[in-house]
Amino acid sequence: MKIENHVLNILQLYEYAMAIGKSLDYKESCDLFLKLVLKRKNLNAAWILEPHDSYLRSTYAIPFGVEINTKLSDDLSTLLRDIEISKIIEANAMVSTISPFKIHGGCVAVFNLKEQGYLFLYSKKDNLSHKDLSQLEPVIDKFSINLKACKAFRQQQMLLHSLEVQNQELSDYAHMVSHDLKSPLRSIDTLTTWLKEDYAEKIGVAGKQQINTIRNSVEKMDTLINGILDYSTIGKNKIEAYPVELNLLLRDILKIIEIPDHITVDVKDLPVVKGDKFRLQQLFQNLISNAITYNDKPAGKIEIGVANKDQYWEFYVKDNGKGIDKVYYEKIFEAFKKLENNVNSTGIGLSIAKKIVDVYGGKIWLESQINIGTTFYFTLKK
Amino acid sequence: MLITSTNNTEIVKAISEHVNKNAALISIGEHTEVDINALISDLNDYGIKFMGGIFPRVIHGNVVLEKGIVINTLNDVDILYVIENISTKNYSIPEVSFDENKDYSLFTYVDGLTANISHYLGKLYENYGMQTNYFGGGAGSLTLEQKPCVFTNEGIFQDAAVFCILDIASRIGVRHGWNKVEGPFIVTKAEGNIIKEINWQNPFKVYKSIVEKHSGKTFTADNFFDIAKGYPFGILKEDAECIVRDPLMVNENGELVCVGELEDNMVVDILNGNEATLIEASRKATEDSLKQATQPRKAILIDCISRILFLEENFDKELTTITETIISKFPEVSIGGALTLGEISSYGEGFLEFYNKTVVVGLFE
Repeated sequence: MKIENHVLNILQLYEYAMAIGKSLDYKESCDLFLKLVLKRKNLNAAWILEPHDSYLRSTYAIPFGVEINTKLSDDLSTLLRDIEISKIIEANAMVSTISPFKIHGGCVAVFNLKEQGYLFLYSKKDNLSHKDLSQLEPVIDKFSINLKACKAFRQQQMLLHSLEVQNQELSDYAHMVSHDLKSPLRSIDTLTTWLKEDYAEKIGVAGKQQINTIRNSVEKMDTLINGILDYSTIGKNKIEAYPVELNLLLRDILKIIEIPDHITVDVKDLPVVKGDKFRLQQLFQNLISNAITYNDKPAGKIEIGVANKDQYWEFYVKDNGKGIDKVYYEKIFEAFKKLENNVNSTGIGLSIAKKIVDVYGGKIWLESQINIGTTFYFTLKK
Repeated sequence: MLITSTNNTEIVKAISEHVNKNAALISIGEHTEVDINALISDLNDYGIKFMGGIFPRVIHGNVVLEKGIVINTLNDVDILYVIENISTKNYSIPEVSFDENKDYSLFTYVDGLTANISHYLGKLYENYGMQTNYFGGGAGSLTLEQKPCVFTNEGIFQDAAVFCILDIASRIGVRHGWNKVEGPFIVTKAEGNIIKEINWQNPFKVYKSIVEKHSGKTFTADNFFDIAKGYPFGILKEDAECIVRDPLMVNENGELVCVGELEDNMVVDILNGNEATLIEASRKATEDSLKQATQPRKAILIDCISRILFLEENFDKELTTITETIISKFPEVSIGGALTLGEISSYGEGFLEFYNKTVVVGLFE
């Protein structure tokens, strides 16, 4: 009989333990575990109180009852301080003040949930014993860890949601501003063209040069706005992924980019990767353009290659340009951060490259030596 | 009161006279030849407030009937509620304000063949807690075909529950009389009312090995319920009678389909009973309710239909035991009720449970 009771006790513990950790929602976790305890032990109520500052607040109750938000009196503090792990106390007037519902007689088992407050189990029929306490202590310890995980998960969810909202707002804002800016820009471009054509004689050579400067600035601003638009749309839509033959893609890119005569580009054999052709083109093009723009050598060299790294491909774009100081290794990927005032640079190319790599779940970084050159690395999953 | 007439005018008149200006609890035997929609309409025309259910059989005094309407008066009822969509859990329980100094009794009939009845009972307890006693049963047809079976002034509903809160005290006794044959076992996988695994094994294989050995009978393709009605499962509760779950059939995967829900990791025994233990349990349930009663006006019996299927002609003895026990102490008490598909009560005033194969005796003061 004794062995049978032990087996039953263990199996009951198994049932309680298995009801814990099934959910990361605080209320659902409490429901799953505490309703089971109430049913199996034939109890009447359960509630959790958490001390906050000098108040005691209810975070869960079954049945619902009223919300508890009571100032911690000296007597209540003493009562709770006395509960090191668990204790059975009489359901007296003082306990009534911290119960979400009216309780008449019986007893309350109180468990210290540490950071998660105190759990109260109420039996109207006085059918809680020290045997129940010792049986429940280990599972309730596990339950308090589950509650902690629920709270951490909730905080993480809130943070993620807030980040998502902020990102969306920023992206929408960038998109809207870019569109709004393009319209007056087009007007300026058209008007200066007409001015140059219709008043050619009146404005003279100096005037034409100034109009050209205006149009160059307009063109630059247009490029910059396109960059912002690109940046704000990356990752906004579903990521397309299909096989892209990178050797062919690089051949096309090198036809588009204007490569000065003093620079040579050496492309090693590249694999076929899964991704969106347009985004991969933007990625390589921005890194190659950057290598060209900041190359100060009479014989500039750019090398593009790849290393096979088991789960992913590690690509590199290596140049023998000016090099980048170590303090700028992170900053360089931030939007509109230029290390020098180069008229050919918008300051958004590398941030677009980083965003594309991020969207594909890869990493991008660089190694550099001043006056010797820079190598940008990025990874793409196979 | 028992009504055997099938004429709606006579039925309505009889109900009206019986309940006076109170509400009526109407329990109808499933074979009663009555147009329920027309009856609801006539009762509404007469201005009678009511709730009720259709059951495999109804109880009046010492008699069990397949045809007939049993009427109980529901005193001091303010509102009758209908909760729809029990199976989808897509409902809310209305707020009720209770006077702390009064006793209340919540009476509910639920579609006994719908899913998630335990969730409904859990929601009732969450909202009303210890402020009321709970009492009721599962309505429906013995054919186990789900159809509209609970009703109020608003109409007749399927996948729904109806309830009212009475401004009176009740004393409740709950017993079943089934005893352990073998166990404990762990229901390692369950879904709704289906046991999918016991001790990580095929449930029918485990069940069959125990039951065939104990009963000396062999399961064949068409005798599952004939044997299984005597071997229910018991969900273990600490220091109290277990909660019975009735296996109805074995499906093509060797899984056991029960009346009432089960959950993963429940600890169960396989039970068996006999005429003596079941009748003794009904006597004890009655005594439990009588012990607390002072001046009951009526007794409502909620007895599981599967007890009559098991006891067969001996069920009369169970009913006689209950009625004689009540009458011996309170001769004036009227006795009525129903044979239900599942029984509802707050066992010992604790958390609400849905039972099978159990007798619930409610005495209303």
